[in-house]
Amino acid sequence: METTSKQLVLKNINKQFGDLVAVKDVDLVIAPAEFVCFLGPSGCGKTTLLRIITGFEQQTSGDVIYDDKIINDVIPQKRDFGIVFQSYALFPNMTVHQNVAFGLKMRNMPPKLIDERVGEILKLVGLTDWERHYPSQLSGGQQQRVALGRAIAIKPKVLLLDEPLSALDAKIRIRLRTVIKRLQEELGVTMIYVTHDQEEALALADRVAIMRDGEIRQIGSPWEIYKQPKTSFIAEFVGTSNFITGKKKNGKVQFGRLELAVTNLDDSGNETVYLAIRPENIELVDETRSSENYLASNVVEVAAEVINFLGAIVRITFILEEEEMLVDISEKAFEKLSLKRKDKFKLYFPPDEFHQYTELFRKLI
Amino acid sequence: MEIDRFIIPTVTIFIGLILCFFMLFPLSAILKMSFFKGGEFALANFTLVNFQKYFTTAYTLRALWHSLYVSVVTTIIVTIIIFFYAYAMTRTTIRGKTFFRNVIMLPLVAPSIVQALALIYLFGRNGLITAHLLKTDWNIYGATGIIVSEVLYCLPHAFVILYTTLSAVDIRLDEAAESLGASPFKVFTRITLPSAKYGIFSAAALTFNLTITDFGNPVVIGANYNVLATEIYAQVTNLYRFDLGATISIILLVPSLMAFMLNYYISRKTFSMISGAARPVIPPSRPLKKISYSIYCSLVTFAIFLVFATVIIGSFVKIWPYDWSLTLAHYSFPSIAGYSAIWTSVWVSLIVGIAGAFITLVAGYVMETRRPFFKQTIYLLSVMPAAIPGLVMGLGYILAFNKPYYFFYGTPWIIVINIVICNFTLGILASISNLRNIDPSIEEASISLGGDTFRTFFRIIFPLSRVAFFQNFVYFFMRSMTTISAVIFLVSATVHLAAIEIIMLDNDGWTASANAMCTCIIVIVLIMLGILQIVAKKTGQRPEGMTSAV
Ligand SMILES: Nc1ncnc2c1ncn2[C@@H]1O[C@H](COP(=O)(O)OP(=O)(O)O)[C@@H](O)[C@H]1O
Ligand SMILES: [Mg+2]
Repeated sequence: METTSKQLVLKNINKQFGDLVAVKDVDLVIAPAEFVCFLGPSGCGKTTLLRIITGFEQQTSGDVIYDDKIINDVIPQKRDFGIVFQSYALFPNMTVHQNVAFGLKMRNMPPKLIDERVGEILKLVGLTDWERHYPSQLSGGQQQRVALGRAIAIKPKVLLLDEPLSALDAKIRIRLRTVIKRLQEELGVTMIYVTHDQEEALALADRVAIMRDGEIRQIGSPWEIYKQPKTSFIAEFVGTSNFITGKKKNGKVQFGRLELAVTNLDDSGNETVYLAIRPENIELVDETRSSENYLASNVVEVAAEVINFLGAIVRITFILEEEEMLVDISEKAFEKLSLKRKDKFKLYFPPDEFHQYTELFRKLI
Repeated sequence: MEIDRFIIPTVTIFIGLILCFFMLFPLSAILKMSFFKGGEFALANFTLVNFQKYFTTAYTLRALWHSLYVSVVTTIIVTIIIFFYAYAMTRTTIRGKTFFRNVIMLPLVAPSIVQALALIYLFGRNGLITAHLLKTDWNIYGATGIIVSEVLYCLPHAFVILYTTLSAVDIRLDEAAESLGASPFKVFTRITLPSAKYGIFSAAALTFNLTITDFGNPVVIGANYNVLATEIYAQVTNLYRFDLGATISIILLVPSLMAFMLNYYISRKTFSMISGAARPVIPPSRPLKKISYSIYCSLVTFAIFLVFATVIIGSFVKIWPYDWSLTLAHYSFPSIAGYSAIWTSVWVSLIVGIAGAFITLVAGYVMETRRPFFKQTIYLLSVMPAAIPGLVMGLGYILAFNKPYYFFYGTPWIIVINIVICNFTLGILASISNLRNIDPSIEEASISLGGDTFRTFFRIIFPLSRVAFFQNFVYFFMRSMTTISAVIFLVSATVHLAAIEIIMLDNDGWTASANAMCTCIIVIVLIMLGILQIVAKKTGQRPEGMTSAV
């Protein structure tokens, strides 16, 4: 199917509920047929931003612009934006067929065309044999497929999904993820997808917008977000990171008794420096290789505290200078090491794998 | 053109205007009549002479004391009886709870006059029990009669509140206390009673309000014992003193308004307490406890049955209590109104049912899901009718609308409007609580698919509310068939209603026919409730029965 979506622009959007700032200074240009994910912890304003785009919420200031036209004052039912809700929001008094046909009926499409189109849609979402069933007779995954079908039946200019999969089981979630991604590519529709599940966002989106406290903190491809998290919060929220709070000393970072070498250590006046390193970026020291491969300052010997077998990888918790940290090693390497609890082993912190931050996000447990 | 934008504000304003015109305006007419000379609104005409007259006339002043006395006594009795009744339903394992719960609701299907009629047949001057079995001269007319009949009338209303409260309070508290070695008496006074205190006050306030505003029972059984409600009626109908009628209305409004506000304030607290509470299994009660509560509940239900049996049997026997041979003679009503009054009542009630259920659903929808900016005002206007005694509202209607240009005055339509307005509060509260059960996303889904307000309402909201709609319909129908006080001033030489005919017949000495008329109303209401059960079963949704109708 042809792309009918046009560019959607959010211009300096702000939204306040009384004193509470729910959305703050959001500026975003979404290209036609782009798949954008809003990712952030719950309460960060994702739903509110989505509802501003759909028109169910009025922004306090700023413009929503579609196809170069400001649509702030266009009521939701005239925006032709499809919405998929977390609760499915199917009409319980209508069959699957009637649910999908609803939007077409509202557009006064002739019944014959409606039937044809509903047939197409149900095929697309894999529910051809379920036309006459009522929502209560379907599983959660099937219901969400109907909701998807209902939203795309009207050929929406933009499709907005608010945590559509979070009420489903893990297995079905992953399967439906694929359905959504394929639909988006086939239909060429702009999709805005809200989730608090970083894995989902990374798997689906062309671009991920990380939100916190109503603001977009970073936006970029999943790869960029993962590889270059701009803040310690993002480093922790997307994937996992180990944090090290150290002091600058002789071009190195002093952390307890350690003095770690860090590539491109920033030379601003701040004495304290916060480093983050992902568990999979810490290496096992391979004793068979010559020590020239390792900077001696970044090699440490630690003891395994907890060993979690996760399948392809093994996650080991260890204590470094009184801080709990994680390292991921492959299942193969683990086998070779034949590590047990309290066993000592050597790790290497590659200097170029550290991210440096000027402040530290601390997750409160 | 985006007409849709204006629909919600228009509908909201329309509903607001209806409530202003048919509630505030009549009320203002009463204020005007009581505080201004000749009912003419002008600063110079302001006067307290009506109140002075009221408070210096011993006879009328007595009505106030009488009203307060019977209301307080009734309130105490009802609260105690119902507390233990609800306790039995929620904290013991006696048998037949469904039966007991249904029977206690029975008084709702009859006008609040059936109790007085029955008591007169049993304990009146020629009462079956007083004159014929005990051969005593004592009879029940006056304060005793009013109190007993009001007690029997208020039971279901108080029960709904205390039953809800006691179901919600966590029974495990009692168990915990008992396991710590507290005696059953201590558990009861230290745990059970305090945890139900809001429910108790709320039930008491409601009972007080119902009793002090009731008209049907005192007018039949009060004899010379005048209360405020009967005094208003007497002033207006017998003496044509509209000014005094309005003045007494204001005096009646004060305590009933206070009780209403107390109840409103308390029930908000109760409901915040109720939400989310668990309802664990009740541990088996000790045999003695079970037997005594079974007997107790049987006695209460027996009293209620006795009322209905007396009136129904009384309508079929030749001369109560002398000649017990069966007859249908009392069903050939002597007055010209007769069956036409019943038909008028039925079709008025059908219209009231449909109009009431529809307007409260629309109002609830507009307020709950669209949240117009004057929501608070509309909400306040919507709960006000419950605070205004029907008799006062009825008098307000005469004062406000008895003008040639109000074409609906003197027609059944003013009765329809009056009953809908008088029962607006419970109708809209039921609608709102139903709408809150509908996922707001469903409505947004419809809108985002291009559904305008009309189509969203009629294709989505209305179908999803149809059981609640029908329940509300039955509620309005029931209230319309049985109300007396709201419409007594609005019937006329051409428009008769069945419930009012009971008073007329009784007044003219056709007591058995009054019972027959009452029986007709009971049967019609019961048929309607039966239909509700069937409809609800068909649609697969269980109605809460009459419990939700109050
Ligand atoms: N209608 C509203 N009125 C007041 N506060 C609101 C309303 N909707 C959302 N909020 C507040 O705005 C913030 C962002 O909410 P939301 O957009 O739902 O977050 P998210 O979808 O990311 O979990 C929250 O603090 C929430 O409590
Ligand atoms: Mg949300």
